[in-house]
Amino acid sequence: MSEITPKERVLKLFAGEETDRPPCFSGMGNVTTEGLKKYGYKFAALHSNAKMMSDAAASTYKLFGFECVVVPFDLCVEAEALGCEINVYAHLEDILYPTIKKKLIHTEDEMDIRIPSDLSVRGRIPLIKETIGLIKADIGNKVAVGTYVLGPFTLAGQIMELNDLLKLSFKKPDKVGKLLDMLSDAIIIVAKEFEKAGADYITVREMGATSDVLSPRVFKNLILPYLKKIFAELKTNTVLHICGKTNDIAVSMVESGARAISVDQKNDIAETRKKIGNDSLLFGNYDPYNVLVSGTPEKVRETIRKCLDDGVSAVWPGCDIWPTVPPENIIAMMDEAKKYRR
Amino acid sequence: MSTEEKRQEILAKLKNAVIQYDEDTSKEASKEALELGLEANDAIFNGLVSGMEEVGRLFEAQEYFVPELLMCADALYAGLDILKPHVKQLELGVRGSVVIGTVEGDVHDIGKNIVKMMFDVAGFTVYDLGRDVPLDKFVEEQMKTDSDLVCLSAMMTTTMVGMKKVIEDLKAKNPNVKIMIGGAPVSQDIADKWGADGYAKDANNALKDAINMISSLKKLKEEAEAKKGS
Repeated sequence: MSEITPKERVLKLFAGEETDRPPCFSGMGNVTTEGLKKYGYKFAALHSNAKMMSDAAASTYKLFGFECVVVPFDLCVEAEALGCEINVYAHLEDILYPTIKKKLIHTEDEMDIRIPSDLSVRGRIPLIKETIGLIKADIGNKVAVGTYVLGPFTLAGQIMELNDLLKLSFKKPDKVGKLLDMLSDAIIIVAKEFEKAGADYITVREMGATSDVLSPRVFKNLILPYLKKIFAELKTNTVLHICGKTNDIAVSMVESGARAISVDQKNDIAETRKKIGNDSLLFGNYDPYNVLVSGTPEKVRETIRKCLDDGVSAVWPGCDIWPTVPPENIIAMMDEAKKYRR
Repeated sequence: MSTEEKRQEILAKLKNAVIQYDEDTSKEASKEALELGLEANDAIFNGLVSGMEEVGRLFEAQEYFVPELLMCADALYAGLDILKPHVKQLELGVRGSVVIGTVEGDVHDIGKNIVKMMFDVAGFTVYDLGRDVPLDKFVEEQMKTDSDLVCLSAMMTTTMVGMKKVIEDLKAKNPNVKIMIGGAPVSQDIADKWGADGYAKDANNALKDAINMISSLKKLKEEAEAKKGS
């Protein structure tokens, strides 16, 4: 019997079927400087070129056997399509992720915005779809292709001042709820476009709603209803990712309807596993910087083993993998994941 | 009611206004403090800051989260704006000016603003560079203002690495400048490795650190006054 492909392994996991071992993949950015070197690309140039984005995204699979390909590499796609201006830091040699330069909402009175009727063809949404198509045509039969969208609260924090959003979510939750509802509709439109392009799984990144910032009560009352709305509309495999403190909202995260939940290194996985039971998919939670980039290969192996022993369903980073990761650390991570047997 | 009793009453009112994020009461109590002839410093430190200390405790106990923290800060500023013009300059023998900002690539500034607030409270001159600040700008501004302290903030691992370069450049140009770094991904280990003088783990710790720093300044002042009195 031939060995199953990384794609089959990931899709079986989402389908709740037995796999030979947990896959080692991610729902977030994982391009490496090794991959950039292979093609001679500059990070800042990747974001607006489908060919370069697809080459760079696939390179972590091609070089190291990482078991997925994920695009894009930044968090500004939806905000840009809604009308924000972004900065890709084209003038810098150093790697920086694009950020929002100009917001859409500047005062409380401007919160009543409308979704542009042509949202699905605005900004870089067509470019991301094209990139997914290129990757699918290249290696889509062997490896799962993932993409991501922001959660409504995190997106709200991009199109308006986070300071105002946080205070209003306490002072005027109805007003914030209305905005989140509208943004959920926008997110559903974008995610459905990515589904159409062939994404095998979509991660919803709602890091703005971490318990480091918001109380679990506000998460449950104000944000969870809109996450439920989004996951109810999506047909493909879905993951809900929240970083920072998440132990007190893990059960709510499962209730959102996402097929899997993803947490970072601040989550106590053993405790979360106990709370959510054995039937839910739980992805995480190695530290992609302090372990994968600046740790030793031995530290990487120890961490991966601990994640698996504590009960993750897949070896998966707590956030985007920072590009300067040393090759020997990715190799150690892949090797440890491959060796692991429950 | 004795003057001392009235003083205590106003200080408690200021403290509670901050804890209950009540801007109106904070303004009202600040005016009352001045009318009664309270020292502005007394009202700031034993009223407003004392309230903020309790807010820090509530934050740590996870009774308060960032939205509450921001509203408490608004209440503190509402009082501070009224009291500040009446503050007698602290004679501490230090100039007390600070350059502060969030490093390039990072647009998060809530933690930075909380730290800035405590410098404002302490009567520092604050040169706030804002967020997404090009790395060279920190060095340039420190040289221009001859500030004692530079505070760098980063909320993301990916932008934190930029701090290393700023610390190196600052120390090369001016070995005496003190550098404090903070933000979610920053650790004591990183602060040590990169040669920063101070480190604040998150918004809460930054608040605590800043309060501790202000308290030690207060102590210096009290000692100086005690010497003068003797």
